[in-house]
Amino acid sequence: VYQVFESVAKKYDVMNDSMTLGIHRVWKDILVHKMNPSPGTLLLDVAGGTGDIAFRFINYVRSVREQQLQRKLKHHQNLSWQEIFENYQEDKFNSLGDSQVVVCDINREMLKVGKQKAQHLGYSEGLSWVLGNAEELPFGDDKFDVYTIAFGIRNVTRIDLALQEAYRVLKPGGRFLCLEFSHVSNPLLSRLYDLYSFQVIPVLGEVIAGDWKSYQYLVESIRQFPPQEELKAMIEDAGFFKVDYENLNFGIVAIHSGFKL
Amino acid sequence: VRCQHYPPLRALQASAVLRRVSDEHKKEPFTSSSQQQFDRHPAGHQPEQEPQGPRSSYTGQGGQESEDYESEEQLQRRILTAALEFVPEHGWTAEAIAEGAKTLGLSVAAAGMFHSDGSELILHFVSECNAKLSELLEEEQKLVQLGEAEKKPTDEFLRDAVEARLRMLIPYIEKWPQALSVLLLPRNIPSSLSLLTSMIDDIWHYAGDQSTDFNWYTRRAVLTGIYNTTELVMLQDSSPDFEDTWRFLENRVADAMNMSSTASQVQSTGEAIVQGLMGAAVTVSN
Repeated sequence: VYQVFESVAKKYDVMNDSMTLGIHRVWKDILVHKMNPSPGTLLLDVAGGTGDIAFRFINYVRSVREQQLQRKLKHHQNLSWQEIFENYQEDKFNSLGDSQVVVCDINREMLKVGKQKAQHLGYSEGLSWVLGNAEELPFGDDKFDVYTIAFGIRNVTRIDLALQEAYRVLKPGGRFLCLEFSHVSNPLLSRLYDLYSFQVIPVLGEVIAGDWKSYQYLVESIRQFPPQEELKAMIEDAGFFKVDYENLNFGIVAIHSGFKL
Repeated sequence: VRCQHYPPLRALQASAVLRRVSDEHKKEPFTSSSQQQFDRHPAGHQPEQEPQGPRSSYTGQGGQESEDYESEEQLQRRILTAALEFVPEHGWTAEAIAEGAKTLGLSVAAAGMFHSDGSELILHFVSECNAKLSELLEEEQKLVQLGEAEKKPTDEFLRDAVEARLRMLIPYIEKWPQALSVLLLPRNIPSSLSLLTSMIDDIWHYAGDQSTDFNWYTRRAVLTGIYNTTELVMLQDSSPDFEDTWRFLENRVADAMNMSSTASQVQSTGEAIVQGLMGAAVTVSN
């Protein structure tokens, strides 16, 4: 798995776009929307190498924070100039409202690409990049508000261990969110999807990234991955409550959610 | 292949049970319909165990009742109750719920358990208010039965009951219009409607008056109308302690009572007419 991602790291984003025809952006947006983070949330994004979820999280929290501050200002209609000045100062220093993201990935190359992207896009505060294994996270217990793993869990050898680690590092009340390819139940769509996966994707892999084998692996691993209900059962086993899933695009992708209560 | 291991675990875990809450104060019993889950069997779940290895929590504690354990629904209710305190500031939103969760020592992400428009928070508040009202009316009834208080005439009873219920809105009155609009969402209408009708039925039950000529549906409709219109008036009332609202309420209740007596007048007039006609018919036949 490590080698697959080493070779894939640089072209990861481009491949994502071409394989999913750009829809993966929508999927990730939906994930963050579902999370609905409030300012002050501490997020752990596992296997999030190139930072897609992390950046969306930061954008979301920033806009929520702006709305909050606007509302506060509206209430204080009769401020003196001094107070208005102080409010603006405060804004500058707290645009994220103390929210933070820790991006954890097993692969150094992916993290490198992520850091470069962050610099390029201008994300400076609230981000940390940590090298780590999802089956054995380098963090203490009860630390994070939200744990996300987007398109990463199918690459984990022992999914149950990863789920247990997720449970461990989450605070009580914390949320587990998993975005992953899943099973399409609609038979017609399923056939079209299979056709696309096995015929088109490896070819794209060869053409764009010069790597047929990695993408063949990718498509096969998607088929091997447990379907929605089974994954839900595994998440419940790890100790999560109110476990539920939401199918996107008829099951091509599913978001699983659970709470540590 | 993996599925085979799961069915037995699934069945026992069907009623999710959470951490021990041994020194939690018990919540007052609700009369609303959402209360059926207190006796779900916990089946020996031990939430504090180390997460290594498969869960082996079936140590046969099936007999232990949910005295020390809390179900998901109970925890959710606690969060919502804690969230009410933040409503005046944040409105009926996921933010208020997040703040509520924080005060209970939970992560703000716990607000994700609920809808982002605050529906559950509002419905929870309404059902709590209804429960409080029932308690109040129950106590009043006890006092009357013990002879320590006079039984109120129907119009006064209705007036006091509606006023007591509406007064519970006062701390949240600024954000209440927002709540009303959420309650009217198609998704929420079944629940909000059923909460409303059960409250109205409750009031009539305790009013216990049999002497009006209304039938059951009319009584329900009339009181619902009085309640809703008074609520709307209250939202726009800026008089001290809402005296305009209570005066409006008094007038509406009086109208309703008059309507009933007019109806009975009509009925007795009708009876008199019929008797007159019968007499005329007898006379004619003779």
